[in-house]
Amino acid sequence: MRASAAQQVRDIIRPNEPSREIRIPMKLPCLIAMVICSLTALSAQVQNTAPSPWQQPAAALAEQVADLLGPGQAHLTIRNLSTISIDQIPSIRRLLTQELKTHGVINSGAESANVIRVTLSENAHERLWVAEVVEGVQTRVVMVRLDPGRAQQPQSASGLTMLRQTIFATSDQVLAALETSNGVVLVEPEEIVIFVQTPDGWHEQKRVGMGQTRALTRDPRSVVYPSTDATGFEAFTPGTACAGAYQSEKGWTIHCHESDDPWPLAWPIALPDPNNGAASIKAFYNAARNYFTGVVTPNVNLDLPPFYTAVQFPRPNGIGLLIGGIDGKVQILETAPLKTIAGTRDWGSDFAVLQTGCGSGTQIVASGSGEASSDSLRAYDLPAQEAIPASAPLAMDGTVAALASSPDGKSLIAIVHTAANQYEVDRVTASCN
Amino acid sequence: MLRQAAISCLIAVLALPAVARTRPHYGGTLRVEVEGDGSKSSNGLIWRLEMDGLTQFGVDGTPRPALAIRWASENNDHRWQFWLRPAVQFRNGWPLTSAAVVASLTQSCPTNCPWTALHAVGASVVITSDSPMPNLPSLLAENQFLIHLMDAGDGKEPPCCVGTGPFQLAQGLPLNLVANENYWGGRPFVDKVEILTNKSVRDQWLDLSVGRADLVEVPAEQLRQAQQQHLTVVASPPVTLLALAVSDSSVLSNPNLRTAIALAVDRNALSNVIFQKQGEVTASMLPGALTGYSFLFPTDRDLNKAHEVRGGLNTPPLTLAADNNPTMQLAAQRLALNLHEAGFTVQVTNAATAQHKDLALLQLTLASSQPQPALESILRSVGVATPVIENTPAGIYKMEREFLDTHTLIPLLYLPRAYAISGRVRDLRLSPDGTPLLADVSLQDAQ
Repeated sequence: MRASAAQQVRDIIRPNEPSREIRIPMKLPCLIAMVICSLTALSAQVQNTAPSPWQQPAAALAEQVADLLGPGQAHLTIRNLSTISIDQIPSIRRLLTQELKTHGVINSGAESANVIRVTLSENAHERLWVAEVVEGVQTRVVMVRLDPGRAQQPQSASGLTMLRQTIFATSDQVLAALETSNGVVLVEPEEIVIFVQTPDGWHEQKRVGMGQTRALTRDPRSVVYPSTDATGFEAFTPGTACAGAYQSEKGWTIHCHESDDPWPLAWPIALPDPNNGAASIKAFYNAARNYFTGVVTPNVNLDLPPFYTAVQFPRPNGIGLLIGGIDGKVQILETAPLKTIAGTRDWGSDFAVLQTGCGSGTQIVASGSGEASSDSLRAYDLPAQEAIPASAPLAMDGTVAALASSPDGKSLIAIVHTAANQYEVDRVTASCN
Repeated sequence: MLRQAAISCLIAVLALPAVARTRPHYGGTLRVEVEGDGSKSSNGLIWRLEMDGLTQFGVDGTPRPALAIRWASENNDHRWQFWLRPAVQFRNGWPLTSAAVVASLTQSCPTNCPWTALHAVGASVVITSDSPMPNLPSLLAENQFLIHLMDAGDGKEPPCCVGTGPFQLAQGLPLNLVANENYWGGRPFVDKVEILTNKSVRDQWLDLSVGRADLVEVPAEQLRQAQQQHLTVVASPPVTLLALAVSDSSVLSNPNLRTAIALAVDRNALSNVIFQKQGEVTASMLPGALTGYSFLFPTDRDLNKAHEVRGGLNTPPLTLAADNNPTMQLAAQRLALNLHEAGFTVQVTNAATAQHKDLALLQLTLASSQPQPALESILRSVGVATPVIENTPAGIYKMEREFLDTHTLIPLLYLPRAYAISGRVRDLRLSPDGTPLLADVSLQDAQ
């Protein structure tokens, strides 16, 4: 009869140790062994409750290999041509070995006539595990596909921390978006689409063509705001304006018409004090290009240059109008003349006002001026005529195609065109550090 | 004191208002120079500027609406219907009709077409085939099937390239293309594209360096040199497949001889010496980035096995045809040397004038970045009109393996397409096949 491991240890130790002193160390290995056994069992339990992401592909590949090979012995080799971390390989090997064993294929030494060469590979879209099953001179190939691993979104912070949450994504181009109580209104190049969120996910509730009579520009833009009674919305695209209203018995009704009316620059509630006498400014959009003409209403008693973006921003002496000109200059209108804002070297063409309650309470959030494909958002304080960074850049994983304040001003809606050609509607908020 | 003054100056400079990057500007003339004749070849730039397909490739390589706004298939992909975008006009003002689309497609594909029949049905085009056509929307995005006007109204065929594209060809030389103000996809940002053709790469780079050109070509074998000269280069992933087509008739009808040729080619030498390591050595038709399985096709040369497979068979001298440009001729000479070492006698000729070709050095374009339509496109370009129905990696691998085992096509290298641009060019992107998308380009100094 074979002695247990503990007994063998005891036998080796015993001749050299006094019997009384032996008793305690003899209990200690047993205790350690019990603890190890318990931990192993616990570990196995944890593994069982949280299955490895490689479990399913390993099982699928092993099944295909076993179908080719049948029960028997084979030598398993693994090479990694993918971005899977090298420290994952032992667990993948273990899983493959286990799964093959359940199908009767036993991993043997290199002397085996049968070889299973597994290559962990990937392409631009997905991971691919390939097994070459070698039996003598014959090689057969099987493969399984895996979803690609998603990179974690980097987070960073300084004065305040900006947070980003994707609330909707679509493969259709989105020009502007507005969050409603239970859904989202999307302005697409030719249609307005309303989605509602249910426990089952997003559902399209209404889709209406805007009936434009002329082609949109190459860099089409749009704005969408809540209607003044807050039961619907108003949307503007080049040459067209639409109004949507919701009634519980009828649902959504949306009407569009040709229009060269000026576009609102911001929803008034976004300002800290909408009743301080500052009128909401509207601006005329050049429907054949991608910018505003510089003509605004009501008249500001100054010729403004053409601009891509303008927002009304609280200043110590009232409300200022911050303009991002098509020449790349950022200027502010408080009292004539326009004053150039310094520190905007890193700004792109899109910015919006965000009420964070941090620092001065209201910041400007601007898109980045770097490569369009790796855009970012960053909050700035504007105490005088220089923009001072108030947050670290927030990577947006694509191009920020539009940026607008939400009706309450406490968040932003960013439209992000990702490298995968998806359009994401992102809610951007900030918290104080 | 001096140090403080320097720091103060530096702070003052940093505090100066700087001009930020903006949304794209409209206006200006983009000056492009190309080595070949951009107007005549279907790979020429002008085709893409002047014409649209029923579909176009998105950045992810999937077909997106272009002249067709939607499509649907029936009967297990044997019948497709494409609904046309309304209110689109050709350059001469004629409306885009389903009849015009049918005429254009019929002219584009006289034989070996993906379809059996084309019909104009109202504002749509119906395409039918005896075989399933799962990749038809992708195939219709390729240059071969761009839509152009076939009847100028006087019963005569109009000159090349009267299309619906973002630019319209104006008269004169250099080739001038002006922005289509009413383009359905939005007016291009630049007012005009000026294309100088038949310029050597050396002259192109010279013009770029002195500010006479905005976009010039960078052949793959000169990418390293362009980097050394600090040119701003926009390069595609590997999209051009350099491959050796092997005739399966006359002397090369013996499969052992074709196998010997496949074993004798030295891809690494071709890549290292001729293409300056800018290519991706391959023995598969699709690059690894698309499939993830290209390592299953070994790329190493095995001269001993080539001799063994050839089995001492004597063959008459073979002709190897290649394009008459220095790089392709050099590559062909290198291959001829490889084959000579395996016991073949090979004579290199100009592809344009060759009467008989046993072997041909081809440059095939990877039109799509999706493996299924990409494989079908490459097979069609070498005369194999077989639809790729399988859409799983294993199925596509099987089809590729079966075809390559015939050794009538020997993939050698995948090469990128690249361009160098001036500092005023913004937002240059390349399509999945490496064609520059000039309608999206804007100029920094335009106002």
